[in-house]
Amino acid sequence: MYRYDEFDTQVVKERVDQFRTQVERRLDGRLSENQFKPLRLMNGLYLQLHAYMLRVAVPYGTMNSDQMRKLAHIADKYDRGYGHITTRQNMQFNWPELTDVPDILEELAEVEMHGFQTSGNCIRNVTSDPYAGATADEIEDPRPTAELLRQWSTLHPEFAFLPRKFKIAVTGSKTDRALIRAHDIGIEIVKNDKGDIGYHILVGGGLGRTPILGQTLREFLPRIELLPYLEATLRVYNRYGRRDNKYKARIKILVQETGIDEFREQVAQEYKQLKPLDITVSQEEIERITAYFSNPDFDETAGDDETFRKELLGNRAFSLWYENNAAPHKQDGYVIANISLKPQQKAPGDITSEQMRIVADLADDFSFSQLRTTHQQNIILPHVKKSDLPALFKRLQDAGLAADNIGLITDIICCPGMDFCALATARSIPVSQAISKRFEDPERQRIIGEMSIKISGCINACGHHHVGNIGILGLEKAGVEFYQVKLGGDSSENAAIGTVTGPGFSQDELVDGIERMVDFYIEKRKAGERFVDAVNRLGVPAFKEVLYV
Amino acid sequence: MSTLKHKGKGPQALTANELREGYSVWLTQDMTWSRDFKDALITEDQDQIDAMQAQGAKDDKANLVVGVYFIDIDAKSGQPARYRETFRMNGPSWDTAADVIAKDPTAKQSATAKKD
Ligand code: SF4
Repeated sequence: MYRYDEFDTQVVKERVDQFRTQVERRLDGRLSENQFKPLRLMNGLYLQLHAYMLRVAVPYGTMNSDQMRKLAHIADKYDRGYGHITTRQNMQFNWPELTDVPDILEELAEVEMHGFQTSGNCIRNVTSDPYAGATADEIEDPRPTAELLRQWSTLHPEFAFLPRKFKIAVTGSKTDRALIRAHDIGIEIVKNDKGDIGYHILVGGGLGRTPILGQTLREFLPRIELLPYLEATLRVYNRYGRRDNKYKARIKILVQETGIDEFREQVAQEYKQLKPLDITVSQEEIERITAYFSNPDFDETAGDDETFRKELLGNRAFSLWYENNAAPHKQDGYVIANISLKPQQKAPGDITSEQMRIVADLADDFSFSQLRTTHQQNIILPHVKKSDLPALFKRLQDAGLAADNIGLITDIICCPGMDFCALATARSIPVSQAISKRFEDPERQRIIGEMSIKISGCINACGHHHVGNIGILGLEKAGVEFYQVKLGGDSSENAAIGTVTGPGFSQDELVDGIERMVDFYIEKRKAGERFVDAVNRLGVPAFKEVLYV
Repeated sequence: MSTLKHKGKGPQALTANELREGYSVWLTQDMTWSRDFKDALITEDQDQIDAMQAQGAKDDKANLVVGVYFIDIDAKSGQPARYRETFRMNGPSWDTAADVIAKDPTAKQSATAKKD
């Protein structure tokens, strides 16, 4: 795991002290709300529909058990005993009081955490593949690159006031688990014909009210050029990005209006100018950072353990969980264990403080104290020995964390919606619960197979509805919620934006309509064909016909 | 939506968030703030509305509340006209905090008091 260096520790501590005095000045009126708002947002503190909300950064979704325990402590002491994992791998608390926030930030700093880059028009907290450093299918662990970007972007003076927020995601695998095509900049670690490792850079992706998939800015960027090249790209965006219209201010609009070739040329020109400044990172520095992410002490003798195999044959609940929630690991005898935060009748991504502590203990006992959060709002234990899986499963069951639905129809991505969010137009949590209820039969979920439903409570699309196989957007007219459906979206390496089917539905009609589409798919599918493949083959109109009866 | 400048139609209530705790509040008959919409002063009387506006501006300046604005109230139901405002009135329809309390009634629940 990466550890903060002295510089980070000092900066975080100074920011806490600064914020404490800022809060004091706000409370006694020396700062107006207009002056204070940008300051609190820089520390991840929002004022939401019912209360303040604090968003804590989880850099590229990696955390250790002590950090998770600290989050549990904060949930208990300052909030309402739970937290919520966001679709950008962060953790947010829905009920902190302003007067407590300096203390919360001080406690977070003790475990090298903070709320930087979780708000505002800066480079936001970098996200990455939650399987990083564990999956068998990666070209290179993306965490050192993500960490390099974290160091470069944290409090970068030139990019603190960009035209709009800026999101970067990094993956080291062909299989995209980080949604890189839906980011302002997506980075894929690649190997060229000569065997050199470099970066495929995508630019101009994003969801929100204008969903666009990223386009290739550089097919192969040599590793050493990463920071200067991104610096040049951000400079072009900072200069030409539209500040006149909030809805046209993201880089995706600039790239579209400029054209990718012209934009690439502008970056190249800027890059040339940048040379004398040279912020290139030396090979030694890259190696130093990479060393933080070296493999934990794997048991080289771990193989297909006898107890594990017995349990797999004799315990059906365990084998079903294993089938869906465990992913192949690069190390023989290990798996990546997904912990679903989508049990029946719960809010997707919510985790109680008690569960946080249990998960932290499980990380200590079974996964070298390491944890990951995912943009699907679940948690991962990245390195679990197969022989430990039966014991892990038992403890997950006891904690109500053994839902075996990863990647299935009830593993729904869902933003907080109108239940918490000040920008929402409709609720999303009750919709996800109604869908989970309708498809609660685990057998049925398995028959349906891999499928993604994603729900957003407004056009801002935090619930990624544009890239859901079924995407749902909550809207409201004259005090009545209704839900618009998109079909055929895909968040993988074959990313696709779904197609709007037509007029919206009430929640009840929506769930019935989804069920009819699922039944239609099961009737028509070919062997091994996933829901999204069937939508692509049969076409959206065929599904529309059963959706609108 | 109406604003502190009162541009709304029909009966009005004045709402804000507490600066310190952040919870939604409504101005009451005696010109104090309540976390319960049931206590809200709802009126069409222009003099009262002027008094509410003055109180809102004063309490904003005194750093008691933040984001003060008028909301339209449906004359028939006596409830906020805008859907969003009904949510601010009722609180979330789902809050995992309920699970936490069910398991441990002593858990810190400072905010729950407001919607009871
Ligand atoms: S999609 Fe809209 S409702 Fe949902 S969290 Fe984002 S801003 Fe809020």
